[in-house]
Amino acid sequence: MMDFDKIRRAVNSIEMSTTMKNRIIENSIKARKEKAVHLSLKRKISVACVFTILLSIIVGIPIVNKNGGLHAANFVITAYAAGGDGISHNLSSEKAIFELSSEDRIGTIGSVSGDGSNLIFTNVMLNITGENIESITYNINKGKFVEDVTFTEKENNREWLLLEKIYIIYSEPGSEIFKGIKEIGDTYTVMYKDQGKYEYAIAIPHDGNYIIADDIIISVNVKYSDGNIEKQDIAVSQESDSISLKLK
Amino acid sequence: MLHQSVRPTEKDIEKVVDEYGNMLFKICLVILGNAYDAEDAVQETVIKYLTKSPTFHDSEHEKAWLITVATNCCKNMRKFNFKRSHIDISDLQLYSKDKESYGLLEILMKLPDKYKSVLLLYYVEGYKVDEVAAMLKISVSAVKKRLQRGRELIRERYGKENV
Repeated sequence: MMDFDKIRRAVNSIEMSTTMKNRIIENSIKARKEKAVHLSLKRKISVACVFTILLSIIVGIPIVNKNGGLHAANFVITAYAAGGDGISHNLSSEKAIFELSSEDRIGTIGSVSGDGSNLIFTNVMLNITGENIESITYNINKGKFVEDVTFTEKENNREWLLLEKIYIIYSEPGSEIFKGIKEIGDTYTVMYKDQGKYEYAIAIPHDGNYIIADDIIISVNVKYSDGNIEKQDIAVSQESDSISLKLK
Repeated sequence: MLHQSVRPTEKDIEKVVDEYGNMLFKICLVILGNAYDAEDAVQETVIKYLTKSPTFHDSEHEKAWLITVATNCCKNMRKFNFKRSHIDISDLQLYSKDKESYGLLEILMKLPDKYKSVLLLYYVEGYKVDEVAAMLKISVSAVKKRLQRGRELIRERYGKENV
């Protein structure tokens, strides 16, 4: 007859080394400090909507049309944080600071891009308003566009998640709902009238110490119904404990 | 009553690792099969504890929260196979001084994850069947079945090894 109490004794014989314990303490303290100093990994910008930011970037710099001529763009790029309550910051070529305070994303495992790079998942999304716009194409040179998704335990299987490109999942203890981060890619096109259906946020790469990469550019290409295309670049950079967006 | 509505201090970090680090490491090591991944899972759990700063009703609630988060971390690591998936038995010699336990631990580590978690929570951490069910978000009957099947597998394999 097997004595199953042996399981308890066997497992309890395992001991974490002091070195490992100290390393975990040290890394945790370091992670906590880094979060206070740098733009923290995986931070979301919701924080119960207290710091919800709505940023309007009015495009007013010369842009080349399809005929090579110059004219001022007549669309507005709005950058906003999901869950916002309407607080806005307008800016043209000045930096628009996004205070990052808030709830951390938890339970991340590996990179959403699958290429080993570290990403900071912001809640910053973009929206365009203007006349006679047919579609908008966004392109980010470093990083990804991602979408927050929720799904149930039933769908939480490896094949489905990989197929859907949901690489990072987390759940709260006691909840049957899983939250995930789905990779959209470094570019996507959306029809003007359908913008509300696509809530794609920006995920930006960092060096492992929460310092974001230089020269991150989001290109916005707006296609009008008459065939004209206007392009506007947005530069993303790091502030002490926040990120900024400005027209380039 | 433990209330953690404020950001944990360095002392809080040391306290939680001192108090629960070893327990989490044992669970993660058995589930993941190697110390590197187990350390990562414990680290991830502690960071979640710090960043989420949950409010606990009592120390049992705190312990259960940490175990649930740690087992979820392990589950995710295994699911995505981002981490090493093999069992490294040599780790046992580094982390357990009880040579007589190596055989049983090896068998336990080689069991399918669903049996390991249930056996660990029931036999090692002493949770009741309904508590295990709540922590793993499975039904009570599923816990019972897994315990039964897990026991059978261990009996089968341990028996063979000890003939």
